Amino acid sequence: MKEINIDVAVIGSGIAGLEASLDVADAGYKVALIEKSPSIGGRMISLSKVFPTLDCASCITTPKMAAVSHHPFINMMTYTEVREIKKNDDGFDLYAIKKPRYINEGECISCKKCEEVCPVYIEDDFEHELSPKKAISIPFTNAVPQLPVLDMNKCIRCGACARICPKDCIDYLQKAEEIHIKAHSVIISTGYDITPMNAKKEYNAISIPNVISPLQMERLLAPHGPYGKVIRPSDGKIPESIAYVQCAGSRDKSIGVPYCSRVCCMYAIKQAMLLSGSLPLADITIYYMDIRAFGKGYEEFYSEARAMGINFVKAKVARITADEKGSPVLRIEHQEEASKPKEIKHDLVVLSQGMIPAVRDFLGLDLEINEYGFVSSRDKTLNPSQTNIDGVFVCGVARGPKDIPDTIADAGSAAVSAVNYIKSIKGKSL
Amino acid sequence: MSDNNLNEAQKRVGVYVCHCGGNISDVVDIKKIVDEISKYHSVVVARDYVFMCSSNGQSLIEDDIKNMGINRIVVAACMPSLHELTFRNAIQRAGLNPYLYEHINIREQVSWVHKDNPQGATSKAILLIKAGVEKVLMQDPLNAIRVNAEHRVLIIGGGISGMRAAVSSADNGIEVVIVEKEKKLGGKLNRDGYVYPSDEKAVDIVNKFSKKILSNPLIKVYTESEIINIGGYVGNFDIKIKKTDGDIDNIKAGSIIVATGFDHYMPYDGEYGYKKSDYVLRLKEFIELLSKSDGLEFVFKGKKINSIGFIHCVGSRQNEGIDAPQADGKVNEYCSRVCCTSGIYTMNKLKEKFPDVNVYDVYADIRTYGMESESLYEIASKHDVIFFRRPLDERPQITFEGDKIKITTTDILSFNERLEMEVDMLVLLTGMKPSEIDDISGYLKLSKSTNRFLQEVHPKLRPVEMNINGVFAAGTSLSPMDITESLQSAQTAAMKSAILLSNPDIPLDPFVAVVDEERCTGCGRCVEECLYSGAVTITEKTIDGNIKKVAYVNPAMCKGCGACVAVCSERAIDLNGSRLSQFEAMIDAIVKE
Ligand SMILES: Cc1cc2nc3c(=O)[nH]c(=O)nc-3n(C[C@H](O)[C@H](O)[C@H](O)COP(=O)(O)OP(=O)(O)OC[C@H]3O[C@@H](n4cnc5c(N)ncnc54)[C@H](O)[C@@H]3O)c2cc1C
Ligand code: SF4
Ligand code: SF4
Ligand code: SF4
Ligand code: SF4
Repeated sequence: MKEINIDVAVIGSGIAGLEASLDVADAGYKVALIEKSPSIGGRMISLSKVFPTLDCASCITTPKMAAVSHHPFINMMTYTEVREIKKNDDGFDLYAIKKPRYINEGECISCKKCEEVCPVYIEDDFEHELSPKKAISIPFTNAVPQLPVLDMNKCIRCGACARICPKDCIDYLQKAEEIHIKAHSVIISTGYDITPMNAKKEYNAISIPNVISPLQMERLLAPHGPYGKVIRPSDGKIPESIAYVQCAGSRDKSIGVPYCSRVCCMYAIKQAMLLSGSLPLADITIYYMDIRAFGKGYEEFYSEARAMGINFVKAKVARITADEKGSPVLRIEHQEEASKPKEIKHDLVVLSQGMIPAVRDFLGLDLEINEYGFVSSRDKTLNPSQTNIDGVFVCGVARGPKDIPDTIADAGSAAVSAVNYIKSIKGKSL
Repeated sequence: MSDNNLNEAQKRVGVYVCHCGGNISDVVDIKKIVDEISKYHSVVVARDYVFMCSSNGQSLIEDDIKNMGINRIVVAACMPSLHELTFRNAIQRAGLNPYLYEHINIREQVSWVHKDNPQGATSKAILLIKAGVEKVLMQDPLNAIRVNAEHRVLIIGGGISGMRAAVSSADNGIEVVIVEKEKKLGGKLNRDGYVYPSDEKAVDIVNKFSKKILSNPLIKVYTESEIINIGGYVGNFDIKIKKTDGDIDNIKAGSIIVATGFDHYMPYDGEYGYKKSDYVLRLKEFIELLSKSDGLEFVFKGKKINSIGFIHCVGSRQNEGIDAPQADGKVNEYCSRVCCTSGIYTMNKLKEKFPDVNVYDVYADIRTYGMESESLYEIASKHDVIFFRRPLDERPQITFEGDKIKITTTDILSFNERLEMEVDMLVLLTGMKPSEIDDISGYLKLSKSTNRFLQEVHPKLRPVEMNINGVFAAGTSLSPMDITESLQSAQTAAMKSAILLSNPDIPLDPFVAVVDEERCTGCGRCVEECLYSGAVTITEKTIDGNIKKVAYVNPAMCKGCGACVAVCSERAIDLNGSRLSQFEAMIDAIVKE
């Protein structure tokens, strides 16, 4: 088994993990950044533009990803899953599995020739199933590292990739590699999933193709998105009327997510603004309970959206059905007018889903989580990054829903806590 | 360095044009740029890529330096302040002097501003890049200036953010000096009553930190003290502190964390009836009153309180034309973030103590965004707090009838009905405003955001860094935040300051003024013009055996603004990295077309 000795193991490489790793490494400590996906970058790298500044998400994330991959103190371990974490007297033992990409990573020159010739198309999880990719492919344009992954379950063993590869990299028999990481401290930055699209049965999101997730809309709006423009999935039509259903996956006890997810008001407003830029003729309506624009510059952003003509309607959406053309029909309970529930048709509907923790089981680590599965702070008014276990810190959405600015502030907090913790234990052992 | 002696033919320029996803390439014709620039003199290679700042993009540059002997780099992409450092690092990794590089902005200055004229945008981009080539051809290799750093951080403000930053910095082994203007550390938390989300007494939080601070030998605390000047520069700030007794201490610090917090918004006389009646209180006043009130009935100044109204967004989320402006003529457009939760938390406390008091709440949006806060909102509903929702562009009207306070508002929840209710007491959920720190921001020349809180360099890339190297900000000096959020930001500021001070010397950009001592006549006009005292001075030097007066630039203090260059009649002072001759060459390239 390969053995690695480092100071801090950072688990999860979204913007929280990237920032925390860079801070710890810049302070002179060795980091292993462990990511289960084939590329670092987390959710943020798949977003279009980010509120409230409307910077493109890639422009902010890619340089951080590059900085991580070049940092002499950061050991970037992608496509690697932690199987077990043990606390011992002088730190932590992490047992991880590096999954096989079925290529020789040291030799691959990222020429994409394998990807070009592969005859098999599979669903592209990065594009949230909006478009296909090849059974062997580099995960996305600006992935780090630029290494293809071969999907052994879908591959038909035709051998085309192996024949074309100029470096003879393809290795169908590659095995997973076991790795033992010894660390003094652990930072948890495992991030989030969005509330499942079928959480609210009344919205029929699974059976109506034109009811989409906000992450799909991010891809439709992204400069390098699947179609290069915003079209609706069922028939490729350009939507003339688009609606957002707020709190679709939050503030709702019946689906087990009673808390507010903090970001969905703002991303809906952002997407609405971007849509009105790319589809100037489209009507955009946001059905909401409260608009929670509480961060720096957010209220101003909300005012701007109202001035741009985006419709904000205080109403609850009780149910979604589809008409014969596949257009979603929303049953609306207005708060503003004393009218009976109405049925309103839109071409495309986005469910503003909330955030739930991506990981709830910390594999042998007796980490305290709250009733919704987020990692708890030992003392929120002393050090929010400190978990119940000495030496284990948490940041980003793993600790609770947060937008990017709050996530970045949280990452620095976890980093300084980990660095100072190591200083304190090293001080004692001297 | 040998590069200085390269002749024109040996200078090999590589030009790298970024699509920025589509931010640039949707407007300008990248292919045309690359075609045309490849033909321009001295350009050996021109390439384009979707994201030049990504690992792949950077590798293109690195590979060309290594394999094609490229020794001058032009990157045409977004604004330089975003990723200049990224490219400089890549160039350095490939073994070239990182300053032999010019960054041309074809996004903010081209594609974003000329969306409606793609052809014109493309021509403009080409011209700018050609000018960039001319400039980089005349660029000399430069070396970062290195200055020694004091291993000490100054923390301005001893509230929760300042205290947290102090403890984190000291735990990192850095000496700390905290300067607080009040008698005690703790800031706004030095008050009666409890706080969300921990349901602790505010002062208990202060005590947790005070203990750590007062027992830590690395932390020196100045209370009831005032900073009366800050000079110097990153690594070597000189601070003058006036103490209670009037004595002045001089200290040195390598970095500064501004944690000066916020001020409570003060309603003007008559705003929602404030000061017109003793029974109109600000939230802070009400919290203190409530914590002192006990017994079966809620009595205040002899009156039994049976009903209380709460008004949200007082001093926040204001609109021009609807709300009266502040002293500076501005309204507070921002949301103060904490008042909804803090207000509702307090209503629950009230209901627990005095369940019979009727509570009416007038709001526009309820912003209980925190994980536990939504349940506070639910508990309030269970306590029978009655909520009224007003339209965004209307404000509730307050009038007085006898000893009753009358609230009149439109209520969206009852289908836009006009409602009137009479209460015995009114509580205004006043928000935060930036604290008065014109002195500090003046000494340090800090930028302010449009909302008048301090302005970070970039909300995502550098959220706690100020525009002045070595100065960081934490907590509500940046924008409204709750306690936990302030702690996060304070620890991040402590981290960034610790990283800066972890090196014995700090590298600074070499873009500073340089003096040609042969030409300099020592007239001192540059000294008069310079805004940064100490950056340029007149000294005496022995040149060829003669004593001569010449200008001397302190590279650590010079900000590279170029004001001196403009006034020197002898052309004896010039800027590294932006020499006059370079600009002339750029302009020539532009007018030639
Ligand atoms: C539709 C949408 C739009 C948004 N738009 C904006 C916006 O415009 N502006 C803004 O500020 N915020 C926005 N947000 C919020 C933003 O996405 C988050 O604040 C941010 O991405 C959180 O980063 P993170 O690092 O905490 O989590 P993540 O990005 O989820 O990162 C977690 C990482 O951990 C990895 N991981 C998980 N488990 C393991 C494991 N066991 N082992 C190893 N690795 C693991 C994951 O693969 C992932 O890479 C948006 C959110 C959504 C849903
Ligand atoms: S062997 Fe598999 S991965 Fe390779 S080209 Fe054929 S199907 Fe694609
Ligand atoms: S063909 Fe070979 S070298 Fe090229 S990307 Fe595929 S595995 Fe790598
Ligand atoms: S942020 Fe907005 S949409 Fe999301 S849960 Fe909170 S109130 Fe609902
Ligand atoms: S937190 Fe609530 S009361 Fe405070 S300004 Fe924001 S919306 Fe208004």
